[in-house]
Amino acid sequence: MSSAPQWPAFRTVRGRLLLWILAVVVPIYAAAMYISYRFTAERLEIGAQRDADELASRLAAEVDAVIRPIEGGIRTVAAQLEEVDPPPEQYESRIRGVLAAWPDVYGSTIAVETGGASERRPFAPYLFRRDGGVGFSDLALDSYAYQTLPWYRRAADGLDAVWSSPYFDAGGGEIWMVTYSVPFFRRAAEGPRSLAGVVTADLDLDWVRAAAERAALGPIGMGWLVSAPGQESFVAPIGPTAERIAGFDASLEAEMFRDVGERMLGSSTTFDLLPAGSAAEPAYLAVRALETLDWRLLLVIPRADLLREARALLERQLLLGGAGLVLLIAAISFVASGISRPIHALAESVDGARAGDLDFRLPEAPRHDEVGVLTEALRRMRDSLQHHIALRAEDLAARARLEHELEIAASIQQSMLPRRAAHAHPVGARVAAALVPAKRVGGDLYDHFERGDGGLIFAIGDVSDKGIPAALFMASVSGLFKVLGSAGELPDRLLAAVNERLAESNDACMFVTMGCGFLDVSTGLLRYASAGHDPPLLLEVGGKVEPLSAENGPALGVETLATYPLVERYVAPGDTLVLFTDGVTEAAAADASLFGLDRLSALLTERSLGDEPAALVRRIVDAVGAHAPDFHATDDLTVLAVMFTPRGVTASRRADGEQWLIEAEVSPDGIREVRQRLRAILAARRVAAERIDDTELIAEELLTNVVRAANLGGDGEMSVELALTRADILMTIRDNGPAFDPLSRPSASVDVEIADRDVGGLGIHLVRELADDCRYARVDGRNVLTIRMNRMVA
Amino acid sequence: MALKITVDTAPNPTITLVGRLDTDTAPELDSALNKVFERKGIARLVFDVSALDYISSAGIRCLVRARKAIEPGGGKVAVVNPQPGVRKVLDIVKAVPAKGIFASVAELDEYLDAIQQQVRDQ
Repeated sequence: MSSAPQWPAFRTVRGRLLLWILAVVVPIYAAAMYISYRFTAERLEIGAQRDADELASRLAAEVDAVIRPIEGGIRTVAAQLEEVDPPPEQYESRIRGVLAAWPDVYGSTIAVETGGASERRPFAPYLFRRDGGVGFSDLALDSYAYQTLPWYRRAADGLDAVWSSPYFDAGGGEIWMVTYSVPFFRRAAEGPRSLAGVVTADLDLDWVRAAAERAALGPIGMGWLVSAPGQESFVAPIGPTAERIAGFDASLEAEMFRDVGERMLGSSTTFDLLPAGSAAEPAYLAVRALETLDWRLLLVIPRADLLREARALLERQLLLGGAGLVLLIAAISFVASGISRPIHALAESVDGARAGDLDFRLPEAPRHDEVGVLTEALRRMRDSLQHHIALRAEDLAARARLEHELEIAASIQQSMLPRRAAHAHPVGARVAAALVPAKRVGGDLYDHFERGDGGLIFAIGDVSDKGIPAALFMASVSGLFKVLGSAGELPDRLLAAVNERLAESNDACMFVTMGCGFLDVSTGLLRYASAGHDPPLLLEVGGKVEPLSAENGPALGVETLATYPLVERYVAPGDTLVLFTDGVTEAAAADASLFGLDRLSALLTERSLGDEPAALVRRIVDAVGAHAPDFHATDDLTVLAVMFTPRGVTASRRADGEQWLIEAEVSPDGIREVRQRLRAILAARRVAAERIDDTELIAEELLTNVVRAANLGGDGEMSVELALTRADILMTIRDNGPAFDPLSRPSASVDVEIADRDVGGLGIHLVRELADDCRYARVDGRNVLTIRMNRMVA
Repeated sequence: MALKITVDTAPNPTITLVGRLDTDTAPELDSALNKVFERKGIARLVFDVSALDYISSAGIRCLVRARKAIEPGGGKVAVVNPQPGVRKVLDIVKAVPAKGIFASVAELDEYLDAIQQQVRDQ
C-alpha cells in the first residue's frame, strides 16, 4: 500500500484493481497449475509403473508359457528314467522324443553320473537340431569332462532341477541359450536313492528375443529383458527400443542400468530417476524381476517423454490461464474505466468551475452506483453554489449601491461645508478647518461665512451620534444655520433660533452641541455663544492661550425655549480662535490616555511666529493622529481656526511681548482708523479704559500734526507701532513728512489768561503731560516719535 | 465715534455734549457755537459733558474759543460734570478755570444762586 503511490500507474483505480486482483489471482493460478502438474506427473509416473508391471507380467507369462511345459516335460523324462531305469542305449530315443515334443528345445542330453557307487563309465549323448534335422554329439569325451561343467554340477550337487544363466554357445550352435538341468536317481532295493545322472534341455533364446520384440512397449520409453547380474549378459530389447534409442541417446546400452536396477531392487524401489549423467537427458528407470529364469525387465523412460502429457496439460493450462488473465485484466480495466472515466469526466467538469464557470455540465443519464451518488451530490453542490453566488452577487450589488449612495452622501455632506480656501475671506479674517469623519459620513459640522454687516459668522457643531442618522441631522442643522445665520442675528439669538426649529420637530431626540461666534472684522469685537459645546481656545499673538469661557446654554434640539448667554470681547489682530469638537480632546491612545485640553493648549503655545490657521489646523490633526493612530475609528474630529487679520495691521511677537504695526493713509480718515485699532487692541488686552483714552489722545494729537503738516502730493505715509510689554505701552509714530520735531515747540502757556492764549501747542502739551517719556528722531527721512506710558495708571 | 450736540433755547443756553469730541467732531461743535454766538448778551454758557467720553485738544480749542467769545462781554463759561478722563485733560491744559468746572448741575445752580445773591446784596 505504501509503495503504491510511487508508481503513478497504481494511483489510478484501474492500476490498484489490477495490482491487487492479480496479486491474489496469479499465485492461486500458479499454485493450482503446479498442483495439477504434480498430480498429473504423479499419475503418469504411477501409470508408467503399472505399464512396467503389466509388461513384466506379460513377458513373464510368455516366457512361462514356453518354459513351464518344457520344465514339466524334462521332469517327466527324469522321473521315467528313475522309474524305468532304462539302459543307456535307450537314452537317445528318449532324447529324440524330447526334441520332437518341444520345438523350442534346441538340444538335449542325458548325462550319466559316473562317480560314487554307480561305477559307470561316462555317457552323454547330445542331440540337437541342425539344418532341419537332428545332429549328434557325444559329450562323454574326456576332453569335454561334462561332470565338471556348471550345467551338470549345479543339478547334481543341488539334487534339484535348475536353470542355467543364459550363455552364448560359442563353437556349438553359435546362439544364446539357457539350459534346464534335472537330476534323476536310481532306486535301490533298500537304502537311499542315489544320483544316476542329469537330464538337460537347451533352449534357444531366440524365442525370448522374439517375444521381447513382439511385446507392446507402449508409446514411450525403451525396455530390455536382461539376465540377472553376475551372469553372462543377455539382452533382449523390447519392441521398438532400438529405434527409440537412436532418437534418445545412441550410446545407451542396457548393461549400463543392470547394476542400478539391482541396487534399486535391493532397496525395494522399482521406479526412480536415473542418477544424473547416466543418460543424455533425465530419465526414469523402472526395474522388475521376472521369477522365471531370474531375469530382469529394465525400462528407461525419458522424463520429457513421460511428462510430455503433463507438460502439454500445463501448457494448455498456462494458455487457458493466460487467456483467462487477459480476460480478467480486460474485465477489470473495463469495470475500472467504467468507474474512473465518469469520475474523470466529473473532475474535468468541476475543474472548469475553478475559473468561475459554475455552469459546468454534469452527466444527465442517471446512474445507480456510487458515481451516480457522487454526480448527484456534485449537482446539488453546483446548484447550491450557483444559488449562493447569485445571492452574493445581489448582496454585493446592494452593497455597491449603498456604498455609492454613501459616497454621494459624503460628497453632499462635504458640499455643505464651506468651500472657500483659508485666504479667500477678503474681510480681515483667515479661516481654516478640517473635518475627519469616523465613518463615510459624520455628525460633525462647521461653517463660516461673511455677512453683509461687516462680520464673519462661524460655528462648529457635534451631533450626538455618528453615521447616517448623525449626517442627516447634521445636514438639517447645517441648512438651518445657513438660512438663519444670514438673517443678521448675533450668536445668542442665532443659536436660540436654530434650537427652536430643531426642538419643535425632533422626534428622533437627537441633539447637537454648537459653538457660534461672530467677529466684527473691522474692530476685532468677538461675540460668542455656546450650546453645550467645549469652550474654544484663544491664541494670542504673544503665544498666550486661554479658553474663551462662555456660560453654556443647552445643546440644540433639547428644549424648545432656551437662551444662550452672549460673551463679548475684543481680539487683537493676529489672535486666533481655535474651535474643536471632542474628537480632538477625547482621542484615546492605545494606553487609553486622552489627547486632552492640556496637550492641545501646549501645542498652540508652541506655535511659531507667522503660523497660518491652515498650518495650525493641520498640526492639530497630525498631533491627534500621532497620539491616537486609530482616532478615525472612534469619533468625528473637527477643528476650526479663525484668525483676525484686518487689513493694514501686522501683528508680531516680540521678546518682551507683542506688537502691532498699523499703517494708515495720511488723512483724517487714517487717523480715525488708527485710533479705532488702538482702542480695540488695548481693549482686547484688557488695558484700563483710562489708559486706552490716553493712548488714543496721544495718537490723535500727534497724528493730527502729521496730517496737518503733510504735503498735498498724496504720497504721504504714516504708521503707528503699538507694543505691549508687561509694564509699558509703547507707541512709535513714523511719517515721511517734512522734518518736524513737535517736542521742540514750547509748551502752551496754560497759565496765562485765556484771552491772551494761543490755542496752538495744546496737543503737544497734552502729550507731554500724559506720556511718561517722549522722544523724537529723524531716521531715514522719517520723523520718528517714540512715546512710552506705564501700562498701569499712576 | 460720533458727537451729539444739543443746545437748548434758554437765554443762557446749556450745550449738552454726548460722545466724543475730537479732531473729527470739533468742527460740528464750532458751527453749533457760531449759531449760539449770534445771540447777543449771553451771560452764561454751560457745557454739560456728563456724557462726553473723550476730548482732545481740538475739543479744548472749542471751549477756549467759547470763552474768548463770551467772557469779554462779561459772560461766563461753565463745564458741568466731566468724566475723569475729560477732567484730567481739562486739568492739564487749564482751558477752563477750576472755578468754572462743576461736579453737577446742582452745584452749578448753587454757585449761580450765590452770585445772584452777591449781585442783589451789592
